Amino acid sequence: MIELKNIYKSFNSNIVLNNLSIKVNSGEIYGLLGANGAGKSTTLNMLLGFLDQDSGTINMIDNKGSTVTSKDGVGYIPENVNLYPYLTGVENLDYFSKIAGLKFTTDQLCNFLLECGLKELDFNKPMSEYSKGMKQKVGIAIAYAKNAKIYLLDEPASGLDPLSSNDLSLLLKKMSKKGATILMASHDIFRVRETCDKIGILKQGTLVKEMFSKDVSSLELESLYLEYMKN
Amino acid sequence: MINIFYNEWRCFLRNKLFIFFTSFFIILLIVVTYFAIIQNNKQIQSQNEAHNHIRSQWDEIDSTNAHSAAHFGTYAFKSNTILNSLDEGINSVTGVVLRLEGHKQNDVAFSEISQSLEISKFGKLKPSLLFQFIIPLFLIFLSFNSYTSEIASGRLKLLIIQGDSLLKIVFAKIVTILSLSFLLLFLSIFIQYTFNFSSLSFDEILRLVIFFFAYIIYYFIIITLTILLSILFKKSISSLSTMIIVWLLWTVFLPKTIGNFTESISPLPTRFELKSDMKEDRSKGIDGHNPSDERRYQLEKETLEKYNVDSLSQLPINFSGILLQADEEYGNKVWDKHFGNVYSILKEQKRNYQLSGLINPFASIQSLSTGSCGTDLIHHLDFLSKAEIYRRYFVKKLNNEYTFVSTKGENAYLSDNVFFKSINDFNYSTPNFSSVLYYYLYDIIFLFSWILFLIFFVILKSRKLII
Repeated sequence: MIELKNIYKSFNSNIVLNNLSIKVNSGEIYGLLGANGAGKSTTLNMLLGFLDQDSGTINMIDNKGSTVTSKDGVGYIPENVNLYPYLTGVENLDYFSKIAGLKFTTDQLCNFLLECGLKELDFNKPMSEYSKGMKQKVGIAIAYAKNAKIYLLDEPASGLDPLSSNDLSLLLKKMSKKGATILMASHDIFRVRETCDKIGILKQGTLVKEMFSKDVSSLELESLYLEYMKN
Repeated sequence: MINIFYNEWRCFLRNKLFIFFTSFFIILLIVVTYFAIIQNNKQIQSQNEAHNHIRSQWDEIDSTNAHSAAHFGTYAFKSNTILNSLDEGINSVTGVVLRLEGHKQNDVAFSEISQSLEISKFGKLKPSLLFQFIIPLFLIFLSFNSYTSEIASGRLKLLIIQGDSLLKIVFAKIVTILSLSFLLLFLSIFIQYTFNFSSLSFDEILRLVIFFFAYIIYYFIIITLTILLSILFKKSISSLSTMIIVWLLWTVFLPKTIGNFTESISPLPTRFELKSDMKEDRSKGIDGHNPSDERRYQLEKETLEKYNVDSLSQLPINFSGILLQADEEYGNKVWDKHFGNVYSILKEQKRNYQLSGLINPFASIQSLSTGSCGTDLIHHLDFLSKAEIYRRYFVKKLNNEYTFVSTKGENAYLSDNVFFKSINDFNYSTPNFSSVLYYYLYDIIFLFSWILFLIFFVILKSRKLII
């Protein structure tokens, strides 16, 4: 479970997060929508432990009620996955898994990549030859292989083609069914609607609207989002 | 940390630019070290030949008057050590041959003729030039973006999320680049060791070890400072440009400025001042060639009393020899006073320059590099002192012969070849490093202080860093 309670954060008197409270239950996927500068990345950076909030509390707890730290129980997928260009997809995945203290066989590594949508043909190509989408898939595989309790995703579908984007949605749903808690920041209204159980709209650091995705269609969500952004 | 280290090397080895530059440096280092060894061995051989020639001239000297032989004199050779090929220090500037004769102390002569070339103003292409100027630049270019590239690519965040600490990442990067410098240094030392395996003494091996670790520490400072700057600035270009400025300050501006400053606070007398002061002091002493000198009569009186005779003609010895030795000893006192002062000033200048290691580790590595190779001022002064001690022995031996063997003082008396052969030759040997180690304590302390200072700051910045 992820719980942010009354979070305030400012940079040089510029308020970035204003009394933000979000709760994501275990096994739930939460989509955080917002324009550039709305505070999505700041929220993720605080959850990752790279930033401290000025006030408020942050709790990340697993199914058993134990506190999860960003290092041991959090998987992260950045917007731009720029892994080591001289290494292949398999080598990058192997390296980052080893850093996490995980050791996989080559077959296991290949399976992770396959599950994340990378074609077998590309496994042993250096990353410098990968497209943005292919790199993104390796980044997703790194987070997936970690088998984390909590996943934080910053524009994870960025650069993915529609098919791969759909694969990502399916993968995230599979992970949430296993009990993972997922918070995903995105601009992509359609992808958020398709993937997430709950959606929040963030505007200038304030959560202006929160809803269950089953209660809105993609079109309704889009018009609602635009309405909030314009006002 | 081992994973990062392994991964960094894997990435290095797949980077063609890295392979090209590293290969270039390895080949350059092998070639430079090899030719430096060949050149040094040739110099050692030439010196040995010259030394043997001079000695054989002496050994084959015809029967001659001992005082004439003192004027004929001999030469002291400061033989190049094997390590001279790594860092020749001040040897090529100061010269390595000293003429030794009666009555006066000469300056060292015969510096290398190659030093007269304009191009030599940039320094000769010796391993030390690569170690002190070129390899640090290479290390700066390898280090300046090793950390910032991880931030810019977002990999740093990912590495930390995966469980690595920032401190571990930073130190793994430092160790990776340091291992490359280790390789380059080791290669040069290994070549040195291989070519001179049979002739390396324990002291020279100890000096090689000190040389090696001194540079490893210096490279650690260069790499860590570059990475620390990239942590502070978070931009590759800022850290690179700042480090280049630091490198220029350390290697060009500070050594010149501090060198001039140390000279101004501990000035040496000019050659004219020194000569005229010595001449004046000398004139107060006994002039062996000037029998009208009043002080001569005092010595004559004492000698007559000692031998209990009334006139010089009754003396069982040659009084001219007594006069010459007295003159020599007085001259030695004058020399000790003036050159002792000059040596003290030179040592003071060196010590003051060494103190700049507090702000400039380049000063410390320069001092330790030349010191461990036995080619710095301390070793040069040791040579001069030992050569002077020998000169005194040499002249005294000749004066005694003149005094006690040619008893009647006849200038025509000729000492035979057996006597000249019996005078020991001068064979200079570099002092053991342990006996001069205390001259380099400042350098060692400052280099270790830099390490502690940088490690402290890296830990501090790694804890407070906002990615």
